[in-house]
Amino acid sequence: MKVNINGQDYEQELDPDMPVLWVLRDVLGLTATKYGCGIGQCGACTVLVDGQAMRSCTTKVRFVEDKQVQTIEGVSREFLHPVQKAWIDEQVPQCGYCQSGQIMSAIALLNENPEPTDGEIKSFMSGNICRCGTYPRIIKAIRKAAQND
Amino acid sequence: MLTRRKFVQLTGVAGGGLVIGIGLLESCEQQKKPPKNPLPNTQNGFGDNNGSAIGEYLQIRPDGQVFINIVKHEMGQGIASGLMAIVAEELDADWDRVHVVYSDPIPGLANWAGGSTSTLNEWGIMRSAGALARKLLIQAAAKGWAVDKEDCFTDNNHVHLKDSENKVEYGELVDKIVFDPSESEVTELKDKKQFKLVGKVFSNKIIPDIVLGKHPYALDIRLPEMKYAAIERAPVFGGRLVDFEATEALQLPGVEQVVPIKGFVLDGSSHIRDGVAVIANSTWTAFQARKKLKITWEAGEKSNIVHERFLEEAHQRLREEDGYVAYSKGDVDTYPDAEKTISHTYEFPYQHHACMEPLNATAIFMEDRCEVWTGTQAANYMLGNIEKHLGVPKENIKLHCHPSGGGFGLRYWASHGMEALLVSKAAGGQLVKMVYSREDDIQFDFLNPLEINTHTMGFKEGDPVTWQLKGALDNWGGLCAWMIYDVPNVHAELIGLKGFTQMSAWRSVMANAEGFSTECFIDEVAVELGEDPLEFRLGLLPEGTEVQLNHKYPCKIDRIRKALKTVAQKGNWGRPMEEGSGQGIAVYPYMHGNGYAAAIAEVSIESGQVKVDKIFVAIECGLVINPDFVKKQMEGGVIWALSALFYGGTEYDKGKVTRSNFHDNKVLRIHETPEIEVYVCESDEEQPWGVGEIAPPVTYPAVCNAIFAATGKRIRKLPISTV
Ligand code: FES
Ligand code: FES
Repeated sequence: MKVNINGQDYEQELDPDMPVLWVLRDVLGLTATKYGCGIGQCGACTVLVDGQAMRSCTTKVRFVEDKQVQTIEGVSREFLHPVQKAWIDEQVPQCGYCQSGQIMSAIALLNENPEPTDGEIKSFMSGNICRCGTYPRIIKAIRKAAQND
Repeated sequence: MLTRRKFVQLTGVAGGGLVIGIGLLESCEQQKKPPKNPLPNTQNGFGDNNGSAIGEYLQIRPDGQVFINIVKHEMGQGIASGLMAIVAEELDADWDRVHVVYSDPIPGLANWAGGSTSTLNEWGIMRSAGALARKLLIQAAAKGWAVDKEDCFTDNNHVHLKDSENKVEYGELVDKIVFDPSESEVTELKDKKQFKLVGKVFSNKIIPDIVLGKHPYALDIRLPEMKYAAIERAPVFGGRLVDFEATEALQLPGVEQVVPIKGFVLDGSSHIRDGVAVIANSTWTAFQARKKLKITWEAGEKSNIVHERFLEEAHQRLREEDGYVAYSKGDVDTYPDAEKTISHTYEFPYQHHACMEPLNATAIFMEDRCEVWTGTQAANYMLGNIEKHLGVPKENIKLHCHPSGGGFGLRYWASHGMEALLVSKAAGGQLVKMVYSREDDIQFDFLNPLEINTHTMGFKEGDPVTWQLKGALDNWGGLCAWMIYDVPNVHAELIGLKGFTQMSAWRSVMANAEGFSTECFIDEVAVELGEDPLEFRLGLLPEGTEVQLNHKYPCKIDRIRKALKTVAQKGNWGRPMEEGSGQGIAVYPYMHGNGYAAAIAEVSIESGQVKVDKIFVAIECGLVINPDFVKKQMEGGVIWALSALFYGGTEYDKGKVTRSNFHDNKVLRIHETPEIEVYVCESDEEQPWGVGEIAPPVTYPAVCNAIFAATGKRIRKLPISTV
């Protein structure tokens, strides 16, 4: 099978039913995308597929065969993405484990809606769990990323 | 404001591929480009040896970079940056050139992280390490300049010569340092008025790694020849593996071996369950193959425990039996003629950890040697258990300590590291990464103990004269009995229960149940006596006093009062609330770490549903290393408690936990999170005290007392569903 991750093609023998999450983590070694629940409940595994947020733990790899997958490793090659910058400015992460997924969701949100209200931020981000309780800072960081130009 | 196109374009440039196309089409819009933020520096995390090591704790490299060994487990509490700042302060290091090294266990050093004690325990050691290095650098520079060391001073990674332009960078001095461990006594520490970093807001060193996806969690380890393992464990605590059949599982492509694991008790606090492990070429394959195993278990006696009956018995024993005396002051029996008593019982349920990074360990077992990569809150304890139960002498065990995606007390135990080794051993020395699925994490969690507390207060001439706490607690830990109110006769007793599974530390430990029960009870008493809950508390907290609570440190009532008065003022205690809304207040010490907090909650009720609108919280935690780190721990602690308030507890059927993942073991989500305001009190204390576990014990009662203010209904049992 051929998959395109972060702009790079990978040609690999794969079980087409394997979730994208495990292809990334265990086959390709892109471990920044996290396993949190495996059933689409926590958002830790969020990646962008053609620019849209997707839970990679419940997305079979055959579904992304002709699509572009972006993981957090591909977000900032030369420069820091404004969302990541806001995450640092607001000192969002604690343990950090949920944060790849939080950042990918936030990027997807701002792609769709560059000026979200607090209500829209909360509703879009409600699929991403953070057990350390960084939610107040996630809201601040998204507001900040939306304002930064 | 970013327009949509610009935003997409930026994403595209960074990520390549499809979205670049959009950017090119709209290149005319690119004049006003978003700023190109440079990539931040990241941490190495694991050291090498090309510098000058000074003692166990730090290394300065020829380029002036300072690497600091962090022996406490970094699990999101910010301990790495906090401890590094203490060293950097005394060393006068350039903060930008300071790096973390996640240290392997150093024999003899207490490297367990818990009880909110990491900062307070390391404070003195880290200061001395920094000061010692600074002394050696000055000595080396003075020698080079042939001047007296009194004529040198340090600033920003340099030694300067007084009254001259001469200065030398630390890195240039590393090969001139003479370190004689017998002269490691440090005499000169800074006065806290001289601090430039400690006490200020500075950024957390590990955050750039996290936002770039480079933070080195154990779960992300990849090693040559490594295979993936998942274990199907005995569903009931104490159950045994009778037989298994793996033909179907072994037929799945990618499955390499299926091996039985024999469980055992590690010590009084932890165990390994019987199980069957699948070893495969990916985590997913191992998870899939598990489902195809056919296993016969012997459930064991814990499968007979029925929760309702267990609870009934616990309440009965609490009423009828005498317990073990946990704390006593005066004599509660001297007032048989109390004119009035108030007594209420509170129930705090089992709780799950649900750390975002599920337990995991990578390990290889080679008979007389072994190697483990994992996140642990108690590395030396894990080493001890490996030696004791697997027969590998400590000096032959290589344990690589990784930072974790949450610990919260679960990562104290040695079982995850041991399980990975047992799988490796059973598989003939195969290097394996053993991963808990989320379902494993919930179902085989070592739970927070269920705790039931009865508080009874007796009065004479209107004043409280006796206060008794009787607690029944499930099989782990003891009663804290942090009974701070000034009642002349105080007595606490504990009854031990034996529940259906293994218990463990869980952020804030017994202070969760006892903060909840004590502060809800005091509130009830105040209201029954017709007094204001804040004034009533202050009246029982006399200025200038200390309470001895069978603990290392006395509880300083003035510090408690400061937290309480700060929150009352900032949270506008007593402000008029709308119909259906209420304010609640609470204060509680956390004596393991000697940090104190107070909280005010504002709630509103809509058709029986409780909505927490706002939480104010004040903390008195002594000398502050970084107020922003303290705030984050308080925000996280409040949210931790709200998860438990609304979604905590567990259910089990014939000894097996029935919750399995985040759909039925819910935790708070972003849209349910109230506004949280944190106030860090100025303190006269000479040292830092605990922070990480201080917020939850006050959050439960503040919310429950607010619910009472809004509805007139008392909450005496968690979790809250509707009111
Ligand atoms: S791991 Fe995919 S949503 Fe939780
Ligand atoms: S930062 Fe730890 S789970 Fe979100």
